[in-house]
Amino acid sequence: MERILRSQKMAEIVLLPVRHHSPACAWHVSRMIEKLRPGVILVEGPDNANALIPVMVHEDTKAPFAIYYSYHDQTGRISEEKDHYKCYYPFLDYSPELAAFRTGRELNIETAFIDLPYGDILAASREGRGLLKAEEEKSNYNDDYLLSRNAYLQQLCEKTGLRSFDEFWEKYFELNGIEEESERWFGNLLTYCTLARENTPTEAMEEDGCLARERHMAARIREYAEKTGTAEGPVLAVTGGFHTPGLKALLEKGPVSGEAGESVPETDQGVYLMPYSMEAADALNGYASGMPFPGFYQKIWEGLQETTLPYHDAVLDMIVTAGKETRRKEGYLSTYDEICACAMAEGLAQLRSKHQPGAYELLDAVLTSFVKGEYNIATDAPMRFLRKAMTGNTVGALCRHADVPPILHDFQDQCRNFGIRTGSTLEAEATLSIFSNPKHRRYSMFLNRMTYLKTAFARKVKGPNLQLKRDRNLMREIWKYKWSVQVNSALIEVSVYGATIEEAAVSLVKEALKQDIGAGESVRLLTQVFEMGLQEQLQPVYDRVYELMQKDTDFYSLAEAVKSLLMMEELAGLYDSRMAFGELVHIGCRKLIYLAPSMAKIKDEDLNACMNALKLLYQITGREGDAFAREREDYYDVLGKMTRDAEIHPGLNGCIHGILYGSGKEASAEVEAVCRGYLGGTREQLFSTARFFRGLFFTARDLVFIGEQFIRMLDEFFGQVDQEEFMELLPELRMAFTYFTPRETDKIAGAAAALHGRSRRDILEREEVYPDWYSYGKEMDAYVKARMQL
Amino acid sequence: MEQKFIKPPVEIRYREELEALKANDTGNRPENWQMSPKAVRTFILGSPKPIKHGEKEYLIEKKYFGNDALVERCIVTLAGNRGLMLVGEPGTAKTMLSEFLSAAVSGVSTNTIQGTAGTTEDMIKYSWNYALLLAKGPSREALVPSPLYVGMEKGILTRFEEITRTPAEIQDSLISVLSDKVLNVPELGDEGFLFAKPGFNVIGTANTRDKGVNEMSSALKRRFNFETVMPVREAAMEKRIIVNEVNKLAAESHICVEADEDVAEILASTYHELREGVSSYGHRIDKPSSVMSTAEAVSVYYQAMITGYYYGDGTLSMDSLVQTLVGAVSKENKDDLEKVKGYFNTVIRDKSSKEGGLWKEYYEARKWLK
Repeated sequence: MERILRSQKMAEIVLLPVRHHSPACAWHVSRMIEKLRPGVILVEGPDNANALIPVMVHEDTKAPFAIYYSYHDQTGRISEEKDHYKCYYPFLDYSPELAAFRTGRELNIETAFIDLPYGDILAASREGRGLLKAEEEKSNYNDDYLLSRNAYLQQLCEKTGLRSFDEFWEKYFELNGIEEESERWFGNLLTYCTLARENTPTEAMEEDGCLARERHMAARIREYAEKTGTAEGPVLAVTGGFHTPGLKALLEKGPVSGEAGESVPETDQGVYLMPYSMEAADALNGYASGMPFPGFYQKIWEGLQETTLPYHDAVLDMIVTAGKETRRKEGYLSTYDEICACAMAEGLAQLRSKHQPGAYELLDAVLTSFVKGEYNIATDAPMRFLRKAMTGNTVGALCRHADVPPILHDFQDQCRNFGIRTGSTLEAEATLSIFSNPKHRRYSMFLNRMTYLKTAFARKVKGPNLQLKRDRNLMREIWKYKWSVQVNSALIEVSVYGATIEEAAVSLVKEALKQDIGAGESVRLLTQVFEMGLQEQLQPVYDRVYELMQKDTDFYSLAEAVKSLLMMEELAGLYDSRMAFGELVHIGCRKLIYLAPSMAKIKDEDLNACMNALKLLYQITGREGDAFAREREDYYDVLGKMTRDAEIHPGLNGCIHGILYGSGKEASAEVEAVCRGYLGGTREQLFSTARFFRGLFFTARDLVFIGEQFIRMLDEFFGQVDQEEFMELLPELRMAFTYFTPRETDKIAGAAAALHGRSRRDILEREEVYPDWYSYGKEMDAYVKARMQL
Repeated sequence: MEQKFIKPPVEIRYREELEALKANDTGNRPENWQMSPKAVRTFILGSPKPIKHGEKEYLIEKKYFGNDALVERCIVTLAGNRGLMLVGEPGTAKTMLSEFLSAAVSGVSTNTIQGTAGTTEDMIKYSWNYALLLAKGPSREALVPSPLYVGMEKGILTRFEEITRTPAEIQDSLISVLSDKVLNVPELGDEGFLFAKPGFNVIGTANTRDKGVNEMSSALKRRFNFETVMPVREAAMEKRIIVNEVNKLAAESHICVEADEDVAEILASTYHELREGVSSYGHRIDKPSSVMSTAEAVSVYYQAMITGYYYGDGTLSMDSLVQTLVGAVSKENKDDLEKVKGYFNTVIRDKSSKEGGLWKEYYEARKWLK
């Protein structure tokens, strides 16, 4: 705690250092406010969120909730990309900031945020630093990492024999800190923070945007101090401990003229409250700052109001919860194990000189007493149950007055329009005739957009699946949808992308297109766009697909893309789309022909994909029109070239010969010659005949039925392999014969039988085994067995 | 009288340290313990400041590397009602830790049952001196106490090494002793009840590679707190252990050579990478099936060092290091040697071209891998 007594005109300023999310800190903040009775309470946090404070302290608002900040960089202040940015500022019951606001309301004290607005913080940060860090999926406004990531702290942990900053913090500031006087507690924290700051380079603080924020906060504090005057209580500034020494220096230096550059436009920034969950608030879930185990510390916070030993109770509670769960799911734990765990936690606390057992003693106690045998993935169930209990599962709620972003209004409007009730959390079903009823098509578009926005609102249980190209014959879609608070949270999360659901979906598609994807993926995205009915706005998507198809050199990815495009071209009428897929198909086709020669030596597992691609090309180049006539010629040229490659995959070779035969470029005699080549070749080559047949039958199974040459060859082939080899080749041969209809197989069998002077009947009908033959054999068996045992 | 040992027991090797700790111990001692839990912790994990005792100052070194919290849990377990079971891969210093614990807690680390497939119930409980038994009939005098009996009688720790090597039914004779803390000797009649004195507890060690040989019964498992000892996860720490242990071994054999930090680093990283299956450059490595423990690395280093000491110029050559390494990895499976060869031909090759120096020598010594 730093007191700064300024001139006669200004109120005294008290700077209170805090760590975000800390029960002890929140506790001491409330005590300090009660004691100091300040004239105004200022809290670190973007000051464009000031309007939200009444909602935050409203009694119907339940923590955890978060302030959601968004910024759309329309003016290009941050980068030329003009990206969307968002971050969260989570509050739990034991967040000191929230405790300050709540105590302020109880005592009727004015409260306000004083930090730079989110967009300005971004503008003040160097790329890749501070809130512009790329690695964190969900960026968090909290900057506790400033306290926990420095060389000084590492040495401190090593010296004190503690595992991490969090354990260090718990031992000195939580467990042993609750019993301390508030002044002393803040004094200790300030000492720690000053040391942490001294061990952080100034450049790093500048790059993180930290110093720009401090300048802004200092200016705000000064403003309030001048406004408040000396008559009322002091001005209390509750900020992250890391900033306190910096703020003190700035405030003591006197007014600094000229604040950091011009601010970013207010209209590009969004700030809303949203319900948050304990899971999301848990530092262990990958959000870099914040304190782990929110469920556990929530218990501590609740206990603090009632008892002096909250940790004892919480640890016992958690041990029992984890024990109960283990007993229920794993079925082996006894009450004595729980007693041992409690004794272990207490013993460890004593050994580690902690006044009460904390989170780390709890974890150690359960590990030792509940896990039987070696600790590994098979035995760690008790630890999982404990961690889950320590994370907690509370979801917050907002009071009715909470302002929501426009996208939520749009959602409500659309729901009303389609008759969806959003008050209930029961799952409902909708059957949509998307092709015959325009309203149903719009309904489906809405649900598809909601799905694309990852809101977990709706899922399609039945209907055409364009991504997997499945069930395309279905005329109806069946959807299941369910509204919950999380849907609203998810919509708030994407609100930065647009004011309506359609707009957000369009922006997200554009973001997705910026990534480095192949042609296949881009077309899959196009199918989603197609289903969402976004085509009018999506010339850019089309252009990007065009560009990607030009660039992509992966044969299979391109083939996949062309196939999807063909499908969409076919369905365009049904889905009422006006996109010109034809041109894309043409480009894809040309590229595929160009790439095909390099595919001659494929691996076995790629055979199917490759054969399908060649067949697809056959279909496309067979189209009417001059444009395709040239492609057609090139296509056959390429095929011819491929067959002349001596190392061509036999299956592919068969497939190509089939195509050439089918298009009249090759006579059956030529195909036969190639087949003879394999048959008469060396042993290895003889075996590949099976694969050759598979390829050939894929494209030209009718060959078998003209004349008996091919059946003769097949027969010859079987004659050349012995039983064992035949078994080896059988899977391949089975595959080859799947292309025939049952009737055709029957016909082939008949022809083959004829070659050996038998009729079709002879194969089907076997000689009967009479019952007495059978019983005679059985008796004989038993007799021999008995004799042999003698 | 100066006694000579190949490997002196912990309580003799660290006698002075233990005395110093006892003399300076102010914490609460559980009954019959030689020192307080905090002092036990200091003995094993070291103290930042030297401790004064008599004329001398003792800097307590860290003796067990790896997981400090695990050591703390072990100490608290021993003070409680349940036995302590250390499980883990071979060579993860389970036995060493149990020796430290018993030497610090009870002052004796030798009260040990060595579990084998041939361990019988009388080795765990008690047997008889038959001459005395015939002469005097069943009496305490004729009874030969087992380490478990001694532990209960004196209130000290009993170590049970390799518990899963003993047949399950023999292991189970521990169950009632651990829960009731009483051993009944029916031959002695009314006086045949041995009630365990405070301070008695059991530390078991078991090897996870032996799993399934003689699985512990769940009744017995319930009477133990389990601690899984993991291999050292950092190459830097592994290097430190190699240097410490090799120096200790050398001092005991009166070989006046010190371990070379750079060689230890090379060996530590070899063992570390082969165990983890990925190199510091990110190569994917085939893991050998034989045990790549830190203890193995120490013995490889020491072997190579004494080879140099007796046969060479007194220094450790990379050639002899690689030769010893071959002997160490190709114990169980021939394929393992191929895997190590592959490791040399990829990872060590890249490291030698990048780092040069000793790494280069190490790479050139690959000719011995055959």
